[in-house]
Amino acid sequence: MSDNKFLKRLFQAYYQEKQKEIPAVSSLESREFGFIPWEKQIMIRHIGFESQKFLLNYLIDRGPKHVYSSGSLYNQPEAQNMESKKYQGCDLIVDIDVDHFYTPCKDEHDLWYCNNCEAKGTGMVEKCPKCEKSKITKITWICDKCLDVAKNEIKKLIYDFLIPDFGTDEKDMRIAFSGHRGYHLKVESEELRKLNSDERREIVDYLTGENIAFEVLGLGEKFQMIHGLSKENIGWSQKIMRKIEEILCKPKTEIEDLLLDKNRFNFNPNLVTSFLNSKADFLELITKGERNVWSIEGFGLIMWKNFLKGVVKHIGVELDEPVSIDIHRLIRYPGSLHGKTGFKVQEINLTELEEFTPLNETNEKLDPIVFISKNITQKLEIVEHALPITKIKGIKYGPYVQGEKIEVPHHIAVFLLCKEVAKTI
Amino acid sequence: MSISSDLLKHYPWLPSLQIYYSDIASKDPTEFIEEAFLKYPDGELEQRISKIFKAAFNNLEEIEDYKADDINIYLYLIVKILLYVLNNKPISNRVANTYSKQTYKELIEENDDANLYDICKDLKLKFHYLNPPIKYGINLNKDQREILKTSFKIYFTDYLKLAANLHDEYRKLVHNALSEGYIYVQKKDLIRLLQEYVRRKLIVEEVKDENNIEKFRKNILHIREFKELYGNILNNWELKKEDFEYSFKISFEEGSDISNNFPPCIQDILRRIQEGMNIVHTERLFLVFFLHALNYPIEKIIDIFSNLPDFDRKKTKYQVEFAKKKEYTPHSCSTLKSLNICKANESKDEICLEGYYSKKLDTQKKLSHPLFYIQLKQYRNSMKNKANKTKIEKEDE
Repeated sequence: MSDNKFLKRLFQAYYQEKQKEIPAVSSLESREFGFIPWEKQIMIRHIGFESQKFLLNYLIDRGPKHVYSSGSLYNQPEAQNMESKKYQGCDLIVDIDVDHFYTPCKDEHDLWYCNNCEAKGTGMVEKCPKCEKSKITKITWICDKCLDVAKNEIKKLIYDFLIPDFGTDEKDMRIAFSGHRGYHLKVESEELRKLNSDERREIVDYLTGENIAFEVLGLGEKFQMIHGLSKENIGWSQKIMRKIEEILCKPKTEIEDLLLDKNRFNFNPNLVTSFLNSKADFLELITKGERNVWSIEGFGLIMWKNFLKGVVKHIGVELDEPVSIDIHRLIRYPGSLHGKTGFKVQEINLTELEEFTPLNETNEKLDPIVFISKNITQKLEIVEHALPITKIKGIKYGPYVQGEKIEVPHHIAVFLLCKEVAKTI
Repeated sequence: MSISSDLLKHYPWLPSLQIYYSDIASKDPTEFIEEAFLKYPDGELEQRISKIFKAAFNNLEEIEDYKADDINIYLYLIVKILLYVLNNKPISNRVANTYSKQTYKELIEENDDANLYDICKDLKLKFHYLNPPIKYGINLNKDQREILKTSFKIYFTDYLKLAANLHDEYRKLVHNALSEGYIYVQKKDLIRLLQEYVRRKLIVEEVKDENNIEKFRKNILHIREFKELYGNILNNWELKKEDFEYSFKISFEEGSDISNNFPPCIQDILRRIQEGMNIVHTERLFLVFFLHALNYPIEKIIDIFSNLPDFDRKKTKYQVEFAKKKEYTPHSCSTLKSLNICKANESKDEICLEGYYSKKLDTQKKLSHPLFYIQLKQYRNSMKNKANKTKIEKEDE
């Protein structure tokens, strides 16, 4: 039996056994469903179900690799083109996936090798740094650290933006671990459902801080003096000023590291020294808030803008923008299995979020690792060039190299097979 | 929710019109128009409608004799019917702009916030009236502190719906005071949003099914007064349309028409202004810098902008003069690309996409500046003319 057939049967068995635990999304009958089967890399879209019972039958019968449902509601979700579906509205969807942004742990566990010049390395790359060709194979992995980063982003989204600024009600939020490298959040409210893509783009800009014109918030140069922002102005001005205060209250060495960090401020050492020399005065000025003339040696309008851009990057949410803007997107169905990991797409409520640790969850009901087994092991052979360490349930497996034959617990075997980096022997 | 009939006479675009005047709403449009002209046989209705179109075609910011009376309701409805049968996007946009500007003026002059409150309620906007007004920020200027207070906050989804077409940096959500789902707005900004609502209500999407509209037009043009009104409007438009088109076609340095040599980015902005659409701040700046670089007279530039929905002659004059004084240069092609103003791909313009052959460097070079586009096009035209002249001369020989 091929590995894909084996995984398909496992997924079918899971859906059969856990069918009562798979939640029904709201207005299920008005949503479009999509599936990727094990047999082919194609998306089967435009499917509708009258009730959850029919969906479950489909899952048990076919055990698909990936299961998705639409954020949109339609009168006829099964219609073959968007026009005929009769669009009714779309929930606001936010996808936070560490695939899309830098985390320091990627330098340890994300591997790449060049198919052109055979160079290899770690970290996030788009093309080979040696031969500059894009023919590279990437092995993207997961660890507690990057999933924590993703969790922090979702917390930031909820506690810094959705609740205080947008007044989003907790009962309208659906949070889910995606089953791989991130989290999804869906806001189900009648008012948000009416928004078109352009209007959603405005919300995305607000959540990320993209396209802020600092001049509109008050930054400007008059008579060779820089006038800054005010923390009394509700909205982004206030967020920025609070963050600046927070940064200025940090120890000097920490500020120095932050300002020199290439992925954040990327300042040159002279400017950092100048900034640190004025730290106390600047903090006093903005704490008092009586004046807004910002004066640090070497900081002209452009430098201040760069500084503010760095601050905004700290505050804004790292989200996958097209997902929130596109009104015809499909997102993973809660309770379904992720075909690249074998982990469950796990719904979590706000009170559970803080303690939730996807790779080492102690609450059985929330545990995304559904094929957990202490006693059953499986023998595999590694087919990928090299694999980083996999740490699941507090136990480390690997690193491994191509051709290595290993014996691992069932859930690790499922994970490596879903990742397509190993084969059964 | 009950709204006063006086308020409806003043602002007949309010949704309650359908309830208060259900007798009109249930009528066939032809029957309604016939009755309207019978009700007001002294010609006042025709005169006041003509004044709206006159103001629109002349880019005036006020409608002469605008009155909040019974006729105003008939007038609004007949204007809507006229725009439908005219089925002409530039006319619709111009009338919508003028009428909505008048609405802005009327609303700004309202002393009583209660009316504004009733209007927002009638529009079913989710909003709060705060009494006393609430502080949401400050303006710091040197050592002066101006406290920003307002009595109005509007739910962000309603705000987004109303502000969606206002391509103005100040109205972007990210630049506004958003808290607990509501945006604090100054009264004048709320009124600006209502102006945009009115503008959009009057804009008639071009009807694709010309057969249906033709049938309706034929039927309704049997009414003598309506036919006269319709004919006069079309005649006036024909005259004004030419005026507007010609206004770009002058090079003030050489006295010849250079508008055909404008790059697609500028052509696109001018087209949208001509249609009375909103354009973004960066496009406004670019157009001003560009026209200044070609030495267009200030008054001519202001006239071009007068077609915009939010046009304010005083403010525009100040900004156009300021830009002239500062001698700003127009943006380069790469900046235009980053600002999403470049239209090279959309227009498939050969010069923009392929550039030109440089004899000096013996290579194909990309265009780097929109002003160079004009020079290049003028050079190519002159070479073409020269070649044609030589050909004619040879033929003559």
